[in-house]
Amino acid sequence: MDVAISTLLSPIILFFALGMGAALLRSQMSVPEAVAKGMALYLMMAIGLKGGVEMSKNPLTMDVIMVLLSGILLSFLIPAVSFVLLRWTTKLDRIDAAATAAHYGSISIVTFVAATEAVRLSGLESGGHLVAVAALMETPAIITALVLAARGQTKRAKPVAGSEQGELIREVFLNASIVVLVGALIIGWIAGEDGTASVRPFFVDLFQGVLCLFLLDMGLSAGRGLRQGWRQLSVMTVGFGLYMPLVSASIAAVFAYLMSMPAGDAALLITLAASASYIAVPAAMRLALPEAKPSIYLTLSLGVTFPFNVTIGIPLYIFVALMITGQG
Amino acid sequence: MTKHLRIELIIERMAHKRACRVLEAAGMTGYTVLPAMAGYGNSKRWSRDTDLSASGDMVVIISIGDEAKVRGAMEEISNILGSHIGVVTLTEVEVLRPGRF
Repeated sequence: MDVAISTLLSPIILFFALGMGAALLRSQMSVPEAVAKGMALYLMMAIGLKGGVEMSKNPLTMDVIMVLLSGILLSFLIPAVSFVLLRWTTKLDRIDAAATAAHYGSISIVTFVAATEAVRLSGLESGGHLVAVAALMETPAIITALVLAARGQTKRAKPVAGSEQGELIREVFLNASIVVLVGALIIGWIAGEDGTASVRPFFVDLFQGVLCLFLLDMGLSAGRGLRQGWRQLSVMTVGFGLYMPLVSASIAAVFAYLMSMPAGDAALLITLAASASYIAVPAAMRLALPEAKPSIYLTLSLGVTFPFNVTIGIPLYIFVALMITGQG
Repeated sequence: MTKHLRIELIIERMAHKRACRVLEAAGMTGYTVLPAMAGYGNSKRWSRDTDLSASGDMVVIISIGDEAKVRGAMEEISNILGSHIGVVTLTEVEVLRPGRF
């Protein structure tokens, strides 16, 4: 309960709530687009560097490799579960269900950053390799979703006019979040603690303040997305956005338990599995499955699942992690 | 003054490069891409600052060419709009330097 209260009353969550409330009340408050994109880059660089520095302190053990592989497996598996549940419980067609499922198999780096802070506030420690897990979990979900979407087609669809070979591969594997996150992780790993000491004032000391401003903007985005797109969602689809994180979290909790992960690492793996993408996957889906409706998958991941995870989900996932590691 | 056709294509940002490639392949000598701020369509309002992925952003592509080239591009543009969100219009315009188109 203390974890839940301290997370809910932390400045980052309160700023998120402020932004979301302001957007729902139709406030004109906004963060300039270029500033929001700059902050996203900053946060990904900071979290990547931090993870790389942490990884440089310890050798790459079999346990770490197992966690990395588990992340990939979860990202392949969760979209299949999401797809089946969407087809059973909602009236979404195959294409919309596959596109939505891709979002739930991939991850939200902002939710991960918020969870990292919540884990730290809870007095737990987490390994830097979880940043690498986050990067690895971005794309396998897209592959599963494309396979699920293609299975229903009787003949191979012709590519859209003007398509270029490799454009989807570039979007999936070389999107900004993966390049910056993996790049900063490698730089942190190579440079180590001493090598990154000179940039600590920028990437460590300012981190909390920038995160507050960024979550204010994310609250505005989530609120606006919900306000503009809620009519496109049925009650059952909204329900999916609320129960699917819990289903994914349960699967990841089993993985964490089987690998005997420490509580902090387990909480982050569970959060990654429970989060839904709203940066990398929507862009990839517009190229790969343009017939899918963005008003469904984006409103669901950004307007329903993201607020749920940031407010209720993260404290719950930390609690589950403490329980499965016997610290609850 | 010579009459030409002006294509105005409002299309989702993620697909605009596909449309630009079609225009280039059709032999259009130039085009301009402008960001769209906000709008309404399909019973839904949209605005460019809603999500960080910017996958919901729209752009406007303007291109002018002689009728043969423009008509040549239209079939492929229609194919793109069969999958992607967008609207295309053609307008007859007069241009000052026809040799440039």
